[in-house]
Amino acid sequence: MAINRYTKMAYDSADDMIFGKCKHPVKTGLGLEIGGGYTTPEINYAPRPEAGASKEKLVKEYQRITTDIMNRMVQVGFPAVVLETEHVEQMTNNPTWGGEVAHAQKTIMEEFHDEYGIKCALRHTPGDIREDRDYLDLRGDKFTVLMESFEEIAANGADMLSLESMGGKEVFDYSILRNDVPGMLYAIGCLGTMDMDFIWQEISSVAKKHGVVSAGDTDCSEANTAMFIGGGLLDKNLAHTLAIIARAISAPRSLAAYEAGAVGPGKDCGYENTIIKAISGVPISQEGKTSTCAHSDVMGNVVMQCCDLWSNESVEYHAEFGGTSVQCWGESLAYDCALMNTATATGQEKTLRDLFMLSDKYRDPQGYVLAYDNAYRVGEAIVKDGNDIYLRAKNAALKSVEIMEEGIAGKLEMTKFEKGALADAKAALMALTDDQDTFMSDCMTKYKEEVKVFLPENYGL
Amino acid sequence: MTSLDIDPSDILVRYNVKLEKAMTPKDAAAELYPKDELYRQIAVAIFDGEEDDVIEGLEKAIAAGKNPIALIDDALMVGMKVVTDLYDQGTIFLPNVMMSADAMLDGIEFCKSQSDEAPVSKGKVVCHVAEGDVHDIGKTIVAALLRANGYEVVDLGRDVPVDEVIEAVKAEKPLMLTGTALMTTTMYAFKAVNDRLLEASLNVPFACGGGAVNQDFVSTYDLGIYGEEAADAPKIADKILAGSSISALKEEFHKH
Repeated sequence: MAINRYTKMAYDSADDMIFGKCKHPVKTGLGLEIGGGYTTPEINYAPRPEAGASKEKLVKEYQRITTDIMNRMVQVGFPAVVLETEHVEQMTNNPTWGGEVAHAQKTIMEEFHDEYGIKCALRHTPGDIREDRDYLDLRGDKFTVLMESFEEIAANGADMLSLESMGGKEVFDYSILRNDVPGMLYAIGCLGTMDMDFIWQEISSVAKKHGVVSAGDTDCSEANTAMFIGGGLLDKNLAHTLAIIARAISAPRSLAAYEAGAVGPGKDCGYENTIIKAISGVPISQEGKTSTCAHSDVMGNVVMQCCDLWSNESVEYHAEFGGTSVQCWGESLAYDCALMNTATATGQEKTLRDLFMLSDKYRDPQGYVLAYDNAYRVGEAIVKDGNDIYLRAKNAALKSVEIMEEGIAGKLEMTKFEKGALADAKAALMALTDDQDTFMSDCMTKYKEEVKVFLPENYGL
Repeated sequence: MTSLDIDPSDILVRYNVKLEKAMTPKDAAAELYPKDELYRQIAVAIFDGEEDDVIEGLEKAIAAGKNPIALIDDALMVGMKVVTDLYDQGTIFLPNVMMSADAMLDGIEFCKSQSDEAPVSKGKVVCHVAEGDVHDIGKTIVAALLRANGYEVVDLGRDVPVDEVIEAVKAEKPLMLTGTALMTTTMYAFKAVNDRLLEASLNVPFACGGGAVNQDFVSTYDLGIYGEEAADAPKIADKILAGSSISALKEEFHKH
């Protein structure tokens, strides 16, 4: 499949963006339309550790999980649901395991759909297994196994195909621990995008062959690593100003999936998704206050602002007082969606969107930049040089810096440390060339020397 | 676009802004540097994470008659302690520690190259990422913080088979083993490591942490000590050196 870069925005203004609706809705699964006028809960789960011991145990675990979720959805009267299965490594490394799990889950979902008419769809996300003990191996034998996994799940019931791809992570892990913003730009914006171009053309071909949806990626391995290292307000591991610069750079990287044939919905943990929706018009999944089962979050409400699917990120399957964990968290998600859908039905959706956004906008620099009005501006900076993967990533980083500086002049409070890190990042970005070839060449020399596990051949370099 | 806006102080509190210390990191560090000018120059270079300046300072000190191996404890580790103390106090952030640790390690290698003697570390720690798990940034941070605190680290890397962990513990005889994992299914390997260590009568404290790892899980095996943050690793090692038993470590570090 060809690469078609975005050079203009899907929306004429930020105010046109809303939850539950997008420019290019996606029909999938059993009667579901994502982004077609309503939000839908997307429930994500992890098997108990002991379930990984054999294929039979895993299949049984996912049957229990699926049945529990579907039962709870009909018990409380929710009209639609999406299930996302993020593979444990055994399911991707043994492609038939993933296929059998997908088949088992879809069989149960079909039974519920037939009996109750509940709209539903199944997303499967294989693990990005393209690495060995010491190095990323993005284009070798593990790539072949990964594609076999996509074939198996697409042939056996998965409606949507996703991935959390790892391109650039070896350089990113080195850079983020050293406040090295040009390194982050090279890792995410350049290496990450190059791998996205490669892998998403392949995934989109598999999806097309099987008549399922090529859904999209998330920069979990890089921007979320920065977000998690950043942590809460009092954590001392990374300036949140750097975490949001990494996030801004991740938007053009994750956008590359849609430039290579994916159509959405983008994956839940892609906090860059509001920017991507503004550019591409694809539906997006998001997670926030209802993913505290997986991680704390300083953007719990703001990320609901433009979601089409609303997710819990992941919860280990186990018993709670109110049922199993997937039933409890799924029910919370579905009630959130009912509220958003009620707002839409009563014409109050923009008010609710703005309440979601304002309740977090000043909590942290990350939420400030991702507030939909500012996210839209980052999108504009990306499409301005949409055909140059380096320049558009640099534009995104600089625009996020500019937005934060405006915030400091207004109501966004920051520590001296955060301001200092922001000033250092700005200086590093301003010192960079505008020429992609020069930047790539300089970075190749530097990181081949400094990062022992960086293999340029992973990126066709 | 919305015309709504709020006074955020009615909605949220930026506690990090409210509690930020008045003193800058550089000012705080200046109060902790050694007085001896030769040592001080090296300590400042460590704080700044400047490898070349560290080597230059070491060359000056050696030229002035200082013993290269003694400089590791007297200058490099003193400079690094300034960094780790300020990190523990919340005055500086992790990337500063990482850059300082890089500079310190370069300095140690330089000192070793200038002498026939071998330095003595505080103790040895074996670090690994669970079998089946390739997410290793947490282990990288743990290893750096241990080195920054004067421990020798044997880094087994990621996706380490249980057999290899056991063999490394037998061969290296560390004071502590660490294990990190991101995924619930891979952390199960920690139980196997624990059982094999006990079978071999290797009662080494096994500090575990990472994304999906939690205190409840680590509490289910005898040697396990849950570390909620990477910064707990050197603190646990310090307690072991001071004579704490595994049950005492569990009592102190299992906070929930």
